[in-house]
Formats: sequence, C-alpha cells, structure tokens
Amino acid sequence: MYFRREMPTVSRRKFLVWVSGALPIALVARRADAFAAAWIADDAETLRALAEAILPSELGREGAGRVARDFQHWIDNYREHAEIVHGYGTSALRFMRASPRAKWAAQLERLGNGKSEMGNGRPFKSLSLEQRRAIVVSEIKDEKVDRMPDVASASHVALGLLAFFYGSSDAADLAYEAKIGREQCRPLAASPRKPLAIAGARA
Amino acid sequence: MTYVSRRRVVESDVCIVGSGISAAMVADKLARERSATIVVVEAGDDVPPLDRRPALRQRFLDYDENPWPNDHLEGYEIEGPLQSRSMCVGGLAMHWGGVTPRFSPEDFKLKSLYGVGTDWPISYDDLEPHYVEAERVLGVAGEPGPPALDPRSKPFPMPMLPLTYNLELLKAWVTKAGITMWSQPSAKNSIPYGGRAPCCRNDTCTPICPIGAKYSPDFTWNALRRDKRVDLHTRTIVRRLDVDDRGRIVRAVAVRRGAPNVEVEYRAKVFVVAGGYVWSSHLLLASRSVSLPNGVANSSGLVGKYLCGHRNVQAFVRLPMKLYPGINEQHSLVTKQFMRVPPRADGKYLRHDLRVWESASGQAPRLRDDSGALLLGDEILRDWRKRTEHGVARVRAYYDVIPDRASELTLDDARKNALGDPLPKLAFRDAPESAALKEWSEETIGALLRDMARAGDGAVVRTQSDEFQDHPAGGCRMGNDPGSSVTDSWGRTHDHENLFVVGAPTCVSASCANATLTFCALALRSAVEIARAFPAVRGSVLAPREELLDPD
Repeated sequence: MYFRREMPTVSRRKFLVWVSGALPIALVARRADAFAAAWIADDAETLRALAEAILPSELGREGAGRVARDFQHWIDNYREHAEIVHGYGTSALRFMRASPRAKWAAQLERLGNGKSEMGNGRPFKSLSLEQRRAIVVSEIKDEKVDRMPDVASASHVALGLLAFFYGSSDAADLAYEAKIGREQCRPLAASPRKPLAIAGARA
Repeated sequence: MTYVSRRRVVESDVCIVGSGISAAMVADKLARERSATIVVVEAGDDVPPLDRRPALRQRFLDYDENPWPNDHLEGYEIEGPLQSRSMCVGGLAMHWGGVTPRFSPEDFKLKSLYGVGTDWPISYDDLEPHYVEAERVLGVAGEPGPPALDPRSKPFPMPMLPLTYNLELLKAWVTKAGITMWSQPSAKNSIPYGGRAPCCRNDTCTPICPIGAKYSPDFTWNALRRDKRVDLHTRTIVRRLDVDDRGRIVRAVAVRRGAPNVEVEYRAKVFVVAGGYVWSSHLLLASRSVSLPNGVANSSGLVGKYLCGHRNVQAFVRLPMKLYPGINEQHSLVTKQFMRVPPRADGKYLRHDLRVWESASGQAPRLRDDSGALLLGDEILRDWRKRTEHGVARVRAYYDVIPDRASELTLDDARKNALGDPLPKLAFRDAPESAALKEWSEETIGALLRDMARAGDGAVVRTQSDEFQDHPAGGCRMGNDPGSSVTDSWGRTHDHENLFVVGAPTCVSASCANATLTFCALALRSAVEIARAFPAVRGSVLAPREELLDPD
C-alpha cells in the first residue's frame, strides 16, 4: 500500500489500455478482474465510507463497516457464467453475467481519489456524510432505476451496495422492526408467535 | 446415426426408465414387497448429497445460482412450455415445493358431473388408499380439512405445519370472507420422520431444502441403493423400446452419456416408463419402427396427446393489518371449497382451488419515492417502513383446463440431440369448452378475489393471470377403451402386456391443484399391478420404513 502510493501513479485505466494492446483480450479481462479485486480491497476505506453514507444510520459505523466487508466478500466470491437456477415453463438456461467488479473498482477509485464530478480532489472518506451523499447523488441521479436492481446488474457500486444490503434478512428485520429472521433456520414451533420487536425500535 | 462398437446387456425383472418421484414410488413398493431384481435407468447425474446442500443453498440465496449443478442435459433446448429443464436422479421433485393436496372426487368424473372433458376409469375411492400410502411414503404433514370438502380415510402421518403468525391473521380474514381454509398439506417434516429432520423454516423449499426436511426422491434411492435393492444407472439415455412379434417389450436400448458407441441393452420381464409428462411420451414415440411407425403403445394414436395442466389467476391484496413477511413464506392456507361445486345452472364449468400466502409484494425497498426523488441513507428505510404498516396477501386460484386432443407432444425432427434423435415439441391447447370459458373464468375468479379483499376492508393491488399450464401431465392417458386411451387404469399399456407408464402421463385431466401427490398415488397403484408378476418377499430384507409405521 505504502509503496504503491509513493510510486509514480499509473492509473488503472492507463494500465488497462497498455496491457490490452499487449495481451489477448481474454487474458486481459481475467487480469483486469484480478486487479480490480485487489483494488477494491485497497479501497476498503472508501467502500466503508460509502456504506456509512448511503446505508441507514441505525446500522452505525460498525454495522455499515460489516455490510461493506460482506459486500466485498460477495464480490470476491462472484462466479461469472455460473448457471442460474432455471425457471419454469422454458427449457432455456441462464447464466451469471460478467462480474461487475472491474467497473465498480473503477468507480470506487474515482470516488476515493476525489476525481468524481463533485469530489474536488478530496478523498471520499475525508468528507462529511452529507458531502459523500451529495457526491453519490450526482453519480447516480440519472440512472433509470426506481427499484433496487439485482446486485450484479447494478450500474454503480453505490447501487450494488444498496441492493446487497436491502436484499438481506437483516434489512427486512430493520424495516419491519422485528426479528423475523427470514430464510434463517428457526424452530417451526415458534412460527405462530409474533416476531419479537427489535430492541430500541421505535415505540 | 451413431456407430455402435460394443453392446452391453443388463438383465433384470423390472426395468424402470426414469428416477423421478413416480419411479421412486414404484421401485420402493416393489423392493419392499416383492422378490424382484430392479434396474433403474436415469439420463441425468446423481445429485449432491445432503451435507453439501447448505452451501449450495447459500450460493442460491447470495447469487441465484442453480443449487443443483449440472441437473440437465446439454443440447436439450426444446420448443414449447417445458415445465423444467431438470434431468437428474430424483427429477423435478428435487426442487418441488413439497405441496401435497389431493385431487377431489369430482376430478375423476368431469364428464358425468359437468358434461366436460373425460371421466377417468377410476374413482377417487379407488385411489384413496394409494393417497394414504403416498402420504406415508413421502411423509406429509397436514391438517384434515372439513370432511365434506376434504374426504380421507386415515389421518395424516404427521401433525400439520403450524400456521404462522401471518397465516393466523389471514385465516381470520378469509373466514370473514366466508371461505373455509386450512393448513396446506406438505411433504415437509413437522416432526422427525423417515430419518429426516423437521422443517426449520429455511423457506427455500423450492428450489432446495438444505436439511432434508422436505421429501425428495433421492432419499428413497439412497435407501434402496444402500440396501442393494435397486441398481440405478445414471447418465444413461434410453433411446428406444423394442417390441417382439408377440407385442412384448424385449429390450430398452440405451447409451451412456459420453460413450455413444457403447450400446446398453436392458432386458426385463416388465418395463416401467416413468419419465414424467414429457419424456414418457417422447420415448414411446421415439421407439417408432417399420412395424410400429407411430411408436410403441400407440395404436390409439394418442401417445403424446391430451397434455393437461391448470392455469392460474393471482392477486395481491392490501389489507389493514401488520404482517411480517418471511416467517415461513412458502407455507399457505388452502381450500377446496371451489373445487367441490355442483354443476351450475347456466351450464358453465368452473372449478378452482384457492390458496393464501403472506407476501411482501409491493413492499420492497425502493430507490425513488412516488415523486421520483432519489432516496438514500435513512430515506430508503423510512420509505420502506411506511409501506410495511399494512399487510399484503398473495391469493391464487388454479382453475381446471380441459385439454384438447391437439394439446400434444410430438417429435421435432428439426431439433435433435447429440445422438441424432429428435427432441420433443410441446403445445398446450384448451378443449373448445375451456377455450370458450377462459375469459369468463378469469373474470369470475377476479370478482371473488375482489370480494375477499372488500371483506377485509382491503383492496386488490394487482391481478395477473398466467398462460403457463402448471403441473403438466397427460400424454399417455388412462382409460378402459384402447381406442381412446394409451393405458388401462393401472398404467399398463393397452398394446403391450409388459409395458407400464406410471404417474403424471397417465392423468386424464390435471385438476386444479398441485398434482404431485396424485402422481405418486397413481404410481403406487400401478405398482400393485406390476407386483402381481413377482413373488412376495418373505420377511422384509429391508430396514423398516419408519414412515410406514401406523401413527394410530
């Protein structure tokens, strides 16, 4: 990390342009994805700062950090072209799309080094929550989305992170202010009971 | 044309083609009750063992990945509404929902009672003991409905799955609407049963139960293979059945996937085709020869005809009650109130089931509010919470569709598999009486759903109907007349004394409820007839089947 910062900067885009001229495209794609993985890891602070800005404040810093780490884990374990569960009524098979990792890594980098439209050159993590949100809004305001996208199809890392969190059992519990524990193993005998209220939930 | 370099012969008393749920019923009953060697031939692969399923389920939850990797054959993209691409040990029942209502007595005499469709050659009473047996083999947890609506001779083998907090509230609502509903019977353990754990509401029954609380046929196959009562040959595609001069099936000719030059010849006293509504008819048609140009068992010309299923109308009803979606979302209430109806005075035919689930439809978190403003941070949660203060019920009615003769499976000579064999082509068609009533049927159900909503001071938010005919069946329908059916009431083909077709394909009609339990009951009834050819087992050589212990 230290040495990378001290070395003369070669942007990832420049690197990709350079390497794409020298290597076969399939290899470039694989390498780009691998580099993207490392860079997202390097940008963990930015990802965490993003999570704090766009996830509910009830999660707190620690909760937002946990979601950011889980999201990182999700990205790391994404398997391109894995078969998706097949639907009913058709013989067509479906497969996972290309990993969004490289695209999201580039977006995180732009946020991280303040090169986004409203970043003014300041690192994202050094900004206030309001300033971070304003930057995210400027980045995604023109996206034609009103519902949460599928995580992998999110066009922006912020949307991917939101979709990841809001698709979770924890998020549902937060919304319903009760310990429902959706899709978690719970005793069958307890199912007639009203789910317990989450401690500290609104009166 | 495939060049055959070697031939391998496998002999047995019974050769079962397919390893889905109907095949499992037949094999299990024969293995327990008769002294007969049984070979099962399955085109697909074995499925991952139970201990791998939690991880596979997690991949499904996290990424929507197929939790049954490689559960299909390459190059089998077919024309028409195939229910599922799955082809593996256990078949489609590896990812079924485990929902096990029975058909109602009316289903077996539609022509006599309502003047539509065709009567079955058996009655509900004929099938009832086999329903009881199927419920015990699968392990069904259920609550008997009122006897007038849900007749049965024996209690369910397990107590019902308890109604969730949400379903209790919804039951009070539907009661107010004048509808009697009860817990949907399901092949999911409410208590330890069959050596399997009780359900713990993982709520991914479809597509995968991670703990084996839901019955799937692999459990039966594992037990039978462990006890060496069946030989199950996976990755083996049966290409045709050969018939001798006396009309008996003499062999099933197959190849191992990946070794197309090695032909495997299965010889048996009895052949049982258990390939579901697609692959059963397909095999019979693909067995065409010079002497039988229309295929095997097809003197009636009806192999592949009268494919049947049921369509549905579904509504999401907004109700003034706080629900908590996710307590056990796949469980539902059910009624047969609209299945057990007398003929209408106006002569119109409509029968349907009705089910009610908790739902989160329309309550998902969103990125923009009603004005289109982008939401972030606390705004998303605030907006979501506001929309969770009312409850949403999913209400769905499957309605009976009478199949036309042209509702059919044919061989598609334009699409072939790697062996050069034609793939099936599917087309579903309503009989004229159903086609004429489609719009009226859906409007009538829609009106019922709106009445229900009003009874709970709620409103229908969204209604949709589905063209897909679910729980498809037929293609080798049973009957007493060899001119208008493919098999007799036992599933024995009219044309070939030693060839049976079992389960879904033998259905005359598809009722208006999930049909898997009926497929199982029919298969168990077929097994009774198949068993007559073999001596009874003296003293079981198998471990006792826990689920067969009488709970009384």
